[in-house]
Amino acid sequence: MKKDVNKINTAYREKAQATNTLSGIAVKEIYTPEDTKDIHYDRDIADSGQYPFTRGIYPDMFRGRYWTRREVCGFGTPAHTNERLLQQIEEGVGGLNVIVDMPTRFGVDVQHPLAEGEVGAAGVPLTSLKDMEDLTKGIPISDVSFSLISSSCIAPIVLSQYIITCQSAGIDISKIRGTIQNDTLSTRFCGMGEATPPDLALKISADVIEFCTKNMPLWNPINVNMYDLRETGISATQELAFGFANAIAYIEEVLERGLDIDNFAPRFAFYCSAHIDFFEEIAKLRAARRMWARIMRERFKAKNPKSLKFRFGIHTAGCSLVAHQPLNNIVRVAFEALSAVLAGVQSLHCCSYDEPIALPHESTQRIALRTQQIIAYETGAANTADPLAGSYYIETLTNRIEEEALKIMEKIDEMGGALAAIKKKWIDREIEKEAVKYQEAIENNERIVVGINEFIEPPEEETRAKRHKYSYEAEKVHIDNVNRLRRERDHKRVQESIQNLRKEALKGKKHNLIPSIIEAVRAYSTTDEIIGTIRECFGYSYDPFEMEKSPF
Amino acid sequence: MEPGRKHRILIGSIGLDGHELGALIVSRALQDAGMEVVYLGLNQTPEQVVESAIQESVDIIGISSMSGIHVEALSDLLEVLEERRAKNISVIAGGIIPQEDFLVLEKLGVKKVFPSGTATSEIVSFIKKELPEKPEV
Repeated sequence: MKKDVNKINTAYREKAQATNTLSGIAVKEIYTPEDTKDIHYDRDIADSGQYPFTRGIYPDMFRGRYWTRREVCGFGTPAHTNERLLQQIEEGVGGLNVIVDMPTRFGVDVQHPLAEGEVGAAGVPLTSLKDMEDLTKGIPISDVSFSLISSSCIAPIVLSQYIITCQSAGIDISKIRGTIQNDTLSTRFCGMGEATPPDLALKISADVIEFCTKNMPLWNPINVNMYDLRETGISATQELAFGFANAIAYIEEVLERGLDIDNFAPRFAFYCSAHIDFFEEIAKLRAARRMWARIMRERFKAKNPKSLKFRFGIHTAGCSLVAHQPLNNIVRVAFEALSAVLAGVQSLHCCSYDEPIALPHESTQRIALRTQQIIAYETGAANTADPLAGSYYIETLTNRIEEEALKIMEKIDEMGGALAAIKKKWIDREIEKEAVKYQEAIENNERIVVGINEFIEPPEEETRAKRHKYSYEAEKVHIDNVNRLRRERDHKRVQESIQNLRKEALKGKKHNLIPSIIEAVRAYSTTDEIIGTIRECFGYSYDPFEMEKSPF
Repeated sequence: MEPGRKHRILIGSIGLDGHELGALIVSRALQDAGMEVVYLGLNQTPEQVVESAIQESVDIIGISSMSGIHVEALSDLLEVLEERRAKNISVIAGGIIPQEDFLVLEKLGVKKVFPSGTATSEIVSFIKKELPEKPEV
């Protein structure tokens, strides 16, 4: 191909073109004191640890405790994942973060027609109590902050597996730390429509929040999942608006059960994205803190200062990464991780550079962890709270994002709230609109993405990354284990626990099912058996895909 | 292609993976380019895809694969097409499919693979140029 040496002259002369933020906010060439003259420090910004917490939820931020460094993990059999978790501990993580596989998430049997090739593919299978025991072997779970990424309707089942595993080890569950993601509504936007009927989803999430509030005061019973919402292609302002709308739906559901807002709000936590527009993401999270503090105080009349704090974890944006020239993703993730730290995050997962290609290979996941460690120990970025406060740009952008997000939230309120907006498919339409807009911007070269529409390398010269490979062997081992479990467990006990679960489920929406789920898990009922039974009791098919029937 | 006859294409995804964005965007682009799109969506079995493809009389099946199961899923799909004597329906694939698997898929019978990052205009022009009409069985 003829090389065009004159392009150096274009490269020399070109200027910044795509000057709106990713969510469409216009950015000026310069910001000055004029732009922030109406801001009152004490009212609108305040010190970190002070309402409205714009600068951070703790006075000392990372000088008190670093964000927890975690790397999402889950593949093969529970034993495989356990091995990797132990390796991560060696490499210096501060907490663990495990994601379940798709058959588990959907609550289908490991031998369901759609489960073939999916067991242990995108996460770890947690089919029974035995799997949780294998997953946590050798890990000091009485002390470790354990995050379970299972947001679908099976969240209480996975939580129950964890609870029993702790209790069997003599651990007092009122002292354990960790999170069950439990944001069921968000999974409707992760392709889990049939498996997440909104009314049942809301009930299940509320059950988990209620149970944990009463029995596990150090446990986060929900991580409002803004991250996966963002991954559908929406903007930063939509991420906040849709996420907060869902959070409000959960809060209202739990309040209807008679709990006091200050009982459970302190343990509400969020899971957000850190996308590639560096300053927008920092401003977004500052805006989120201020918005949440005001929502809790003004809308829900919360009094406990802990109820007003927007605690959040971050997962750097998988959708911002590019499969071509994958090593470039190390750079993208580094910027995103830095924005998370500058935004005062509590817990951080960095994507591995092979994220757009496969599950993280152990070598690439290590680089992701090292990214966090370099930020923590070498850059000085963690040494002071909210270092960008007072920047004319950042403060203006924080205000603008709050304004835009509140406008969207008002629209959702007018529709009747998150549940109504979801049922009307309004959220689905907004997602599609925004996603298509972004794609068009790339295809029209309005937005440049290195390696996609510019600075492209021919495929033969692409980086050959070491790739995580799916293991059919692991799938077979797990299926054999599940079959053996089903043969060897006490059938009578399983039957009784399922009957009991049915009885409890038929007591209605507000009746908490966690105790009966725990009993079913203790009897070695499997995830699909438990959720299938619950689904039937609420008028849904046992199998979300209507291919399998209840064996009971 | 008979004058006036539009391409009919079915878009779907096999297995449990929940990444739908790519499939939605491609469907939109194909519609905007004047094609008739039957959007089947996520969580299909190969049999369900073929059944719908036959019922809807499509010319092309487009499979989105984002979870790495592309070789198995597409090989099963092509087998079912053969069994149902519907091999005249062209199959294309897109998503998270590494370079090294393109040849394998093309040998199985996939007409073209469009990895993540491909411009939708490229997919449209490939279909218009290379997949003119359903050949007689």
